[in-house]
Amino acid sequence: MIKIENVTKMYGPTVAVKDVSFEVEKGEILGFLGPNGAGKTTTMRVITGYFPPTLGNAYIAGHSVLDAPLEVKKRIGYVPETPAMYDDMRVKEYIKYVGALKGVPKTELKERVERIIGTCALESVYTKNIGSLSKGFKQRVVLGQALVNDPPVLILDEPSTGLDPKQIHEIRSLIKSMEGERTIILSTHILPEVSMTCSKVVIINEGVIVAADTTDNIGRSLTESHQVELTVGGDPDRVKETVSGIAGVRNVSNSGNRFVVDSEKDGDLRAEIARKVVEGGFDLLEMRAHSMTLEDVFLKLVTEEEGERQ
Amino acid sequence: MRNIAEIFKREVRHYYTSPIAYVVIVIFTAVFGFLYFRNLTYYSQLSYQLMQNPYYPQRIDLVMAVFAPLFSSNSIIFLLVIPPLSMRLFAEEKKSGTIELMFTYPVKDIQMVLGKWLASLTILLVMLALSVPGVFMAFKFAGSWEWGPVLSGYLGMFLMGVSFLSLGILISALSENQIVALIISYGALLAFWFLGWAIDPNSGKKMADVLTEFSIIQHLDNFIKGVIDTRDVVYYVLFIFTCVFLTARVLESKRWRG
Repeated sequence: MIKIENVTKMYGPTVAVKDVSFEVEKGEILGFLGPNGAGKTTTMRVITGYFPPTLGNAYIAGHSVLDAPLEVKKRIGYVPETPAMYDDMRVKEYIKYVGALKGVPKTELKERVERIIGTCALESVYTKNIGSLSKGFKQRVVLGQALVNDPPVLILDEPSTGLDPKQIHEIRSLIKSMEGERTIILSTHILPEVSMTCSKVVIINEGVIVAADTTDNIGRSLTESHQVELTVGGDPDRVKETVSGIAGVRNVSNSGNRFVVDSEKDGDLRAEIARKVVEGGFDLLEMRAHSMTLEDVFLKLVTEEEGERQ
Repeated sequence: MRNIAEIFKREVRHYYTSPIAYVVIVIFTAVFGFLYFRNLTYYSQLSYQLMQNPYYPQRIDLVMAVFAPLFSSNSIIFLLVIPPLSMRLFAEEKKSGTIELMFTYPVKDIQMVLGKWLASLTILLVMLALSVPGVFMAFKFAGSWEWGPVLSGYLGMFLMGVSFLSLGILISALSENQIVALIISYGALLAFWFLGWAIDPNSGKKMADVLTEFSIIQHLDNFIKGVIDTRDVVYYVLFIFTCVFLTARVLESKRWRG
């Protein structure tokens, strides 16, 4: 549905995005992750046809942003990072205006606007001026303008910034509810948002894609070692010695009675560790496998990249 | 077409919800009305004096005495009140960021430009229309009169006004700040005005003629006299077309540069 092909975007001599390629299948929600200034917004602006890429091309439903920008724009709904709308217009008026510009047939327009007001819960404010709305309502209006033409593709640039936790939850469930019917790219730097809503993740740093996979895989495949956390009663040094002796253990570190055991990628050594600890006469108080969260993966990838470059 | 119409409607509404349209129209009507009133009083005094003296002509030309100087000074009023109409058209959208969403809608640059251009043109038409009743009154009280020169004068003022607007829109597309757009519009319009003065027209230099032809005010003269010369019409139409075309190109180049 969405296909980005070797997109490079330069602002003068500055390279904002370099040779980015990825695809999103119909109905998928793609999490687009990266620290601030990584090139997320630039990539999304290329997809929306806001500006053309310096090199490469992007396709929406087979239409190229370079050759058929109008066809692309008819098929997308875009929520920019800092949504600026006409403050002097009323909510209903504005959504109707955008609907007309996006080519919603005149006969359907009224009904469509009513529906959007319902979907985005704007009933209480639809006669108010946009300028007088709170941030949360503005965010819903901007989502409303994105949805008004019933687009198969949604591009959401950090849709939950500046919202309170309840509103964030609402927006997330609204996004989640569209899974399957619309193809969505969701950019964010809030990691739990991705694990909650997205089926695929692309991580970008300094304009380059550093990882792209399904949300589940990305945690797993990037974990090079298993970690087990232990709390053991007894002399720490002797415990450390015992645990280090187990085949497959790479490294043991501790602070006081708490130990972190690194092992080979495939082996699950929990049973073995438990046996040895108990056999050695120590008290096994706590043990749990530590799997890498998206947060760890993200930090790891982003810092690794920087390390490599230096 | 629908896109142009929608943008046009929004922009016209904006002119009235923000008080720009009211302010500009009121100032224009007041200043125009005052100048008109002054010319008319002078004319009636003069006519009265002439009537006392049988050796003078019994009637002086209303058009030449009242409307020619009025329309001529109107170029100064336009110079002052038209740039405020055009300054915000693109500068405001760029400053506030609303242009970002506009650029992602299936709307062509030229449609955006034409919608806004037509909206500002409408305000200009309203301004001119509001001055018409006063003109009617003069004829009522002058008895017989000639329509032609007044109509051609209005056509000339309209074309000149639209030229001012079009240059203003181009400058608005180039700037992000409304005040900067306003000041540059004033500067550019004055420059086009003074172009004819750069070389003494009596010096016999070819360059003087060329520059005079470029002057934006120069071309109004014939209209005021009641002469519709193709050269003048072509000048204004080309001027307007060039500005509108360049505005669309400026938007496009803005996109490419990001």
